[in-house]
Amino acid sequence: MAVVASASGLLAMLQEQHPTLKLHALRNLNVLVDNFWPEISTNISAIESLYEDETFHERQMAALVASKVFYYLGELNDSLTYALGAGSLFDVTEDTEYVQTLVAKCVNEYISLSVKLAESNDSETTEMDPRLVAIVERMLDKCMQEGKFQQAVGISLECRRLDKLEEAINRSENAASMLSYCLRLSQTFVSRREFRHEVLRLLVKGYQNFPQPDYLSICQCLMFLDEPGKVADILDKLLKGDKNEALLAYQVAFDLFENEYQKFLLNVRDLLPEPSSAASTTGILATNGRLNQGSRNENGISALTDAGPTAMDSDLTEPLLARHDEEVATDAAAAAASPAAQAESRTPYAERLAKLKGILSGETPISLTLQFLYSHNRSDLLILKTIKQSVEMRNSVCHSATIYSNALMHAGTTVDTFLRENLDWLKRATNWAKFSATAGLGVIHRGHHQQGRSLMAPYLPQNGGTGGGSPYSEGGALYALGLIHANHGEGIKQFLLESLRNTSNEVIQHGACLGLGLAALGTADEEIYEDVKNVLYTDSAVAGEAAGIAMGLLMVGTASEKAAEMLAYAHDTQHEKIIRGLALGIALVVYGREEEADTLIEQMTRDQDPILRYGGMYALAMAYRGTANNSAIRRLLHFAVSDVSDDVRRTAVLALGFVLCSEPEQTPRIVSLLSESYNAHVRYGAAMAVGISCAGSGSSEAISLLEPLTSDAVDFVRQGALIAMAMVLLQTTEAREPRVASFRRLLEKIINDKHEETMSKMGAILAQGILDAGGRNVAIMLQSRTGHDRVTAVVGMAVFSQFWYWYPLIYFISLSFAPTAFIGLNEELRMPKFDFISDTKPSLFGYPPSVVPPAATSAVKLPTAVLSTSNRAKVRGAKKESENKSGKAPVQEGGATASSTNAEGSGDGDKESTSTMKDKNAMDIEGGVEKKAVVEPSSEVLSNPARVVPAQEKYIKFKEDSRYAPLKLKRAPSGFVMLRDMTPSEPVELVSTDTPVSAGGASAAAAATAAAAPMAVDDNEPPPPEPFEYVP
Amino acid sequence: MEGKLADITRLFQKFKAAYDKNDTETSDNILSQLKVKLTELPSLPPLFKSSPSSIQELLLARDILEHAVVLSVKMEDQDAFERHFLQLKSYYTDTRGVIPPSGQEYPILGLNLLRLLVQNRIAEFHTELELLPPAAHDHSCIKHAVELEQSFMEGAYNRVLSARQAVPHETYVYFMDLLAKTVRDEIAGCSEKAYDSLSLVEAKKILMFASDQELLAYVLDDHPDWEIRGTRVYFQRAKKLAPCKEIPSLQLINQTLGYARELERIV
Repeated sequence: MAVVASASGLLAMLQEQHPTLKLHALRNLNVLVDNFWPEISTNISAIESLYEDETFHERQMAALVASKVFYYLGELNDSLTYALGAGSLFDVTEDTEYVQTLVAKCVNEYISLSVKLAESNDSETTEMDPRLVAIVERMLDKCMQEGKFQQAVGISLECRRLDKLEEAINRSENAASMLSYCLRLSQTFVSRREFRHEVLRLLVKGYQNFPQPDYLSICQCLMFLDEPGKVADILDKLLKGDKNEALLAYQVAFDLFENEYQKFLLNVRDLLPEPSSAASTTGILATNGRLNQGSRNENGISALTDAGPTAMDSDLTEPLLARHDEEVATDAAAAAASPAAQAESRTPYAERLAKLKGILSGETPISLTLQFLYSHNRSDLLILKTIKQSVEMRNSVCHSATIYSNALMHAGTTVDTFLRENLDWLKRATNWAKFSATAGLGVIHRGHHQQGRSLMAPYLPQNGGTGGGSPYSEGGALYALGLIHANHGEGIKQFLLESLRNTSNEVIQHGACLGLGLAALGTADEEIYEDVKNVLYTDSAVAGEAAGIAMGLLMVGTASEKAAEMLAYAHDTQHEKIIRGLALGIALVVYGREEEADTLIEQMTRDQDPILRYGGMYALAMAYRGTANNSAIRRLLHFAVSDVSDDVRRTAVLALGFVLCSEPEQTPRIVSLLSESYNAHVRYGAAMAVGISCAGSGSSEAISLLEPLTSDAVDFVRQGALIAMAMVLLQTTEAREPRVASFRRLLEKIINDKHEETMSKMGAILAQGILDAGGRNVAIMLQSRTGHDRVTAVVGMAVFSQFWYWYPLIYFISLSFAPTAFIGLNEELRMPKFDFISDTKPSLFGYPPSVVPPAATSAVKLPTAVLSTSNRAKVRGAKKESENKSGKAPVQEGGATASSTNAEGSGDGDKESTSTMKDKNAMDIEGGVEKKAVVEPSSEVLSNPARVVPAQEKYIKFKEDSRYAPLKLKRAPSGFVMLRDMTPSEPVELVSTDTPVSAGGASAAAAATAAAAPMAVDDNEPPPPEPFEYVP
Repeated sequence: MEGKLADITRLFQKFKAAYDKNDTETSDNILSQLKVKLTELPSLPPLFKSSPSSIQELLLARDILEHAVVLSVKMEDQDAFERHFLQLKSYYTDTRGVIPPSGQEYPILGLNLLRLLVQNRIAEFHTELELLPPAAHDHSCIKHAVELEQSFMEGAYNRVLSARQAVPHETYVYFMDLLAKTVRDEIAGCSEKAYDSLSLVEAKKILMFASDQELLAYVLDDHPDWEIRGTRVYFQRAKKLAPCKEIPSLQLINQTLGYARELERIV
């Protein structure tokens, strides 16, 4: 049969007089338009005039044809206008490209209109085209009818149609998954805070409608909404329920804790009812505390008297030695107290409540984390040793960089072996280097709440004000206390505050301010604020800078009036340091406030003073952290290329890293051009931005971007690139990313190279520290598993990036470290013995292999003639040396035993077993590594608690027949996981060995390794792996 | 369906009667009714639904449209001609294999060519020509149009005018008259370019007018910008030279400054 070859006949028919003919032509054109649009487009004006002809009945048909023609011409706007004119003839259900494109266009249009409508002030609201609304609604209905609820949710979220959103969620079969999808969307895509809150409220309502509400998600939402009361109610209700519900309550609490929203957690805790038998518990706690205090004082004195003669007369080294005994003693005291607590009989509810409060206040999780980090510590002392040897003694920058590096490597592990072994070397730190060396202890002992203060006691300013100690170590100690108690500083606040009040030394003030800021992070405590402000008003550059930062830390995310006050003072003062501190402080105050902060940001970015503009960049970074907000990115890019000050440009680029930290895959693309900038500062910023946002991702693009920068012509760019690279490669194994090995070699090369500039050398040393951070069991996580930003982490990272101006701030990076652990807990909040499977090759996520000491160097040398006399002399020298060493060890031991024999006796057995156990474990793992070369198993069995790096989570499987099963299967298997006991009748076997000796064991093991390590090194050969049996 | 066809056939008879009587008004009225009725037949383009009566329907519709085309020539309505022709064309091109060719096909195609020539749409003229099968070029109607075009292009205007006498079909006369006008316009356009002025006599000769009156009327109607002074026609060509463009210095300065600023900002 024939087909038409041209539409000209029909087009001609349009010119006919009779409307029937026109209609006939239009109808046929509508059918033919897909093929004949080029012909029709020449006559489009005829069709348009038909549409505009009010007397013509079938105007809609004309509109439809016109719309299609415009669509083919690519004029989507015109096409949309006519499609709207076509009314019901435009069928959204039609499955053609035209309809799909136009509907998409329609939805976009509607979204942009409704966003404009929502964001503009009510005075000048533009009228929404009802036809447009109709189409979008038809579209949404269609989506829902076809079961595409995710689309419907997405569209209605973007259109800000809460009614439709609710409908979509309610109509879907799987409302739970829809809600979680929506929650994720609202966190990642809804850039406007107020609207997000509305969505969250809706979500809470949705979750509560379930017969079995998903309390985990509800509480997440409520936390975003900052409604502690409701969370407290839910938790209370759960606690009163059965065992599983109590477990759920604990899980909720742990999840909330992971988000590190201290103020909220404290509010929840305070809103929970006091347990009826609270008196007894607190009583015990109090006595416990008192006991601790007592023993501390006692030991403090004994330490002063006993340790005095043995240690060198440096105030730094002395307390290190003196500390053993204290710890042992306190532990003994604690051990004595705990059975008493156990013996006390309490109602189950009260008991649960107490546990829950323990979680919320952070005590339980932090001590569990500490335990984990200590027991799983796999840091490689040889790396540090190499660094130490290759760094010139006189170069104080590298010297303190090594100290920083050590602190980071052992962050949270309480292992200070390296410092202990190198007291002489450590003594070289003077003035501010001493400040940071002392503060480094805070990083190492991070989370060691109970004994934090006693650990630092020897360095702390004594009550008389003249402790004889140097102000630098005293200030450093206060800072260290802050680091130990970061974000959980209720217990220490008062002490720090008093220290601040009692001193007028600016160095101590500096340390106290930083410590206070850290300990009272985000609490908006008025009293502390006033005191810090007084320090600021003394207008001392050193103290003022810390005060500025501390004010920001105190007021994190409050967007309070104080910001204006701080800004005013920043204008008044002459000191750049103070202005900089305040600028950062202000940025912290507007943390997470997004649009709310815009006025302030505008004010800062328009300032005459580059330092304030620089603060403005930070304010943008903080206010829009992790939102990937387009306007923020645009503004930052603008400043990155147009500001006159290098500092501002650098910071603007760096700030991109914060804004994009929720979408790390974006960052390398966005900054890739900037990383090729002629301006070294911009390059540095680009490197850091990638480092911050891609931290721990091992992202290949990020590495490719950073790699050329590590050999940049400018030293500080190299520094930034090395640090950023270390952040990116954190916990990435060679099996996953072969470039890790080359990077490690590069670091080694830079550190050993005599001609390398100090700046990049320092970068390499720090990078080494970050790369092996926290005994390799931590990752930098700026966002929690649920996608919420971790306030502490982001703040820590922001202050860390200030190290450009002030090295001691490097320690703030430890705030962003999060342990990569799976810690399974039973209802007693103890770790039961429990195995699970990581269904992948062990080498993919294992620890990096330990460094092999360079044994081959001597072998290559030609044999030189050695005189027998010199040989003998050498032997003599060696003997003397070893004698010295062995002589030293007993002195230490002796000191320890002398002061607390009884404690030693009780703790001994435990310690022994721990260390041997540990060794064996290590051997096993090492042996496994060697075996792998032959044939690598495709899975491995991990036992609770285990190291589970984020990328590994998806491989984790639980055994079917296991006694314990996680309470919530959907939840990512990492962090704190509540386990359900399938056979509660059987006796519980706990992973107990480490539990009671967290601190005592630490020092003991440290001492043990301290004794063992030099031996091994002298031999220049690692111990051979013990024989073992391979169990698949 | 049958009824409809019969209905249309009856109406068409009526139309033919009026058409033969040269009663253009009645036939036009009936024609528009016919056209509406035609839309109801599904076998017609562009639908081409096959039905037992489809061949009949097509033949009838073609016949009607052919008459419509001729009628519009008779009524001297170029627009209607074009409209009808375009509708008719589908029957010639798309249904070639379905219904036997019409005797009227070439005369009407020739007419259309002529129309394009008249309207000076040379490009379309050639397109149409290319679409014709080679055999068609021998048909007198087509040949006529092709020859006319050649003369027209060569500038042999006299041949064009003389061709009026040798029309292959009586309907062609109308267009031949129009063609004379087109030719005249061409000549006028050329003269304008070629001369500043011409004497009336010469102008009359060049433009091939029989009398001065005709010339004057023509000038008045079509070229009001011409001026007749005494015995000469002055072509008031717009001799204004395009004003020399000023250098947009301010804009250039701004642009250059802009470049400088942008260069500064290069990252």
